[in-house]
Amino acid sequence: MIEADSEIIKPEILKAYVWLQTSDGSIQQVEQEVAMFCPLICREIQSGMGSSKNYPISLPSRVNPPMLSLILDYCRFHQVPGRSNKERKSFDEKFVRMDTKRLCELTSAADSLQLKPLVDLTSRALARVIEGKSPEEIREIFHLPDDLTEEEKLEPIKNTMDDPRIRLLNRLYARKRKELKERERLKNTEVEEDRADERSVDDLLSFINGSNEGGPFDTYGFADSKANRASKSKKKNRKRKDHHKAAPSNCTSTSNSTTASSDAVYMNKKESNELDSMRSNPTCHGNLSPNPCNGTKLHNIEDNTIPPAEDEFDDCDLDDDIDPALKEKIDREVEDFARRLNSDWPERMQQILSLGQERRTLQLTANGNGSLRIFTSLDESRK
Amino acid sequence: MEDLDRDFLSDLPQSIIETILTKLPIRDAVRTSILSNRWRYKWASMTHLVFDDRSATQFNDRMVVEDRIVNFITRFLFLHDGPIHKFSLSSSFLQSSPDIDQWLLFISRKDVKELILELGEGEWFRAPSCVFSCKNLMRLELVRCELDPPPNFKGFLCLKYLNLQQVLIPPDDIECLISSCPLLESLTLSYFDSLELTVRAPNLKYLILEGEFKDLCLANTPLLIAISVAMYMTDDIAEHFEQSSSCNFDKFLGGVPELERLIGHIYFTKYLSIGNGQRRSPITYHHLKFIELYQVSFDDVKEVLVVLQLIVNSPNLKALQISGSSNTSAATQAPDLQFWDEKFSTDCMLRQLKTVKLTDVSGVPHEMKFIKFLLEHSPSLEEMSITPSLYVTEGRLNMLIDLVCFRRASPQASIVFIHEPA
Repeated sequence: MIEADSEIIKPEILKAYVWLQTSDGSIQQVEQEVAMFCPLICREIQSGMGSSKNYPISLPSRVNPPMLSLILDYCRFHQVPGRSNKERKSFDEKFVRMDTKRLCELTSAADSLQLKPLVDLTSRALARVIEGKSPEEIREIFHLPDDLTEEEKLEPIKNTMDDPRIRLLNRLYARKRKELKERERLKNTEVEEDRADERSVDDLLSFINGSNEGGPFDTYGFADSKANRASKSKKKNRKRKDHHKAAPSNCTSTSNSTTASSDAVYMNKKESNELDSMRSNPTCHGNLSPNPCNGTKLHNIEDNTIPPAEDEFDDCDLDDDIDPALKEKIDREVEDFARRLNSDWPERMQQILSLGQERRTLQLTANGNGSLRIFTSLDESRK
Repeated sequence: MEDLDRDFLSDLPQSIIETILTKLPIRDAVRTSILSNRWRYKWASMTHLVFDDRSATQFNDRMVVEDRIVNFITRFLFLHDGPIHKFSLSSSFLQSSPDIDQWLLFISRKDVKELILELGEGEWFRAPSCVFSCKNLMRLELVRCELDPPPNFKGFLCLKYLNLQQVLIPPDDIECLISSCPLLESLTLSYFDSLELTVRAPNLKYLILEGEFKDLCLANTPLLIAISVAMYMTDDIAEHFEQSSSCNFDKFLGGVPELERLIGHIYFTKYLSIGNGQRRSPITYHHLKFIELYQVSFDDVKEVLVVLQLIVNSPNLKALQISGSSNTSAATQAPDLQFWDEKFSTDCMLRQLKTVKLTDVSGVPHEMKFIKFLLEHSPSLEEMSITPSLYVTEGRLNMLIDLVCFRRASPQASIVFIHEPA
């Protein structure tokens, strides 16, 4: 390259200059020997461009003036042949000390000019930034959006452990997180639905006591009327309804134990504030159990309007891997829980009736296995 | 939230992202999959894969670590998508195992260009035949392996770089392997036992040999630029040499006119001296600029002659480094110093020689004559440094007295005598 230079270069007294134009239109005058260090510029010069102000070499759009000046600093240092390796290395190390945003811009600019040594240097620096950091830290440094769903994050890309219990736990946590997300989403959508679903407590109680099968049920239906419409086809929405499940009723434990245990697993994993709201559920349940005909009526209605429970749990293969011992344990827990709820029932009933004057949103949901779940959202519990 | 700043890392071109990922330890590269949606599978199209012991978190139990590494690599390869140009595996935990065979089979179908394998010290890994079907292999490095080329193996037609260290290969096969790689530019063979090697590699530029060689011959290596040989010698090899009549110097350095750098360790100079008649070699090394010879025994006049022959035939020699072999036993007979005055007249001036470094100098007569010769024949000499051997204590004063007397052809030559106080 030096030989070629001496042909183009004018007498030694005058240094040859080339004109470079950056993406913003500004034109810079640069010593030729420095600019020639970039292969792209070198080629342009050899094809005749850049020799005067009127015919500047247009640089790629990724090269803006601050990046160009950095790159030229790099070239200016390294194109001097007499430097020792040590000198070059120490220059390089100081050169890449800049914030990561500029480092990325510099990498991009150097790549567009095909300046491979600088691309390598900056890539190495970026790799050092990434190495050893946690994902959150990396996301913060580079402003990466955290847009993977929790489930995707938990999907084992590499096999960490073969233990089936770990896998089960991962899946349970995944579902739990999904639920939370769903709840969040619903919180936003429900703001509109609130008004539609608002009813006084009295209405609800009268319905529960069996006055009207179809009416309130139809209008109440489900927490999310959209979900109602879509329920027959979409399993996802069914899941949403499930989030508003309350504690299982006594019917649950008697009618369908397997699904109950699954629900119970759900339950057990839910956070405690949900349990608080669930405690109000016995409102309905208590009335239901001494009144079996109501229960069955409801059961029938629910059966007509709601697809069977099996669909709900189709895409959760939760049952597949639970070993029998675990299942038993869960069953026992469900029964314990149900007992607890029923014992609280009378007091809770009074509580709720007395608080009935205040405006509260009551949502009624049902799932296919015949239990009526009420999710009372008290503002406190929502927080 | 800084929604205004766009994600500036993911916008970099794929080639740069791959470069960055390749510079990360491979575990960190895989971890980028949970950074964001765009990054989920960026790691899976990496083309340069480097696996080592860091790929699994350390445990005390070897079996567990081995399992984890195997698991990691298997899973990685299974999820990988796209060509693989480089596969490097160096692990002290892994021994020969069917998993490795499967990985190599997978790799061999992926257009691999660089293959590096270095496994543990236990049972040596036997390279499966799929290695020989990697048509595009350009770089092959194997440590502690058994190589058995199949009979119909035609060679690696693209191979440029071959490095075999502690590799068990039938002796005929190794010569075949070398000569069947027409593009071979760099050859490194280490720790071979009793190997008789004739190298035929028309494009070979760099040659590094280390081990016990019964016979070394560079038959067709006209383009060699740099040679580095560390030659171990066992007693029976030495015997074999006594009986051989061929001139080793010619056999080895007879056909390398382009040589620029020569490095010899341990018994290399002795090897060259065998069979060497006292005649000037017909070949001149016009490009030879750097000579480094270690463990040269200045008690053996034949070795001295080899060194002289090299130097005298290298008119453009720039730097010379010679380390003497500390021979504590004094010579039994007075050395024949005649030739010093007869043979080398002033017409062989080393006009380019600038630096000379002599270490382990014991001050034996031939050595002092050698230093005198250098000083008289190097008009451009800038620095000569002399480090006496640790075993020589009283002789140092005599050395210095002699040194001071020597005439110097170069007015700017400075002699540095490195004297560590006892």
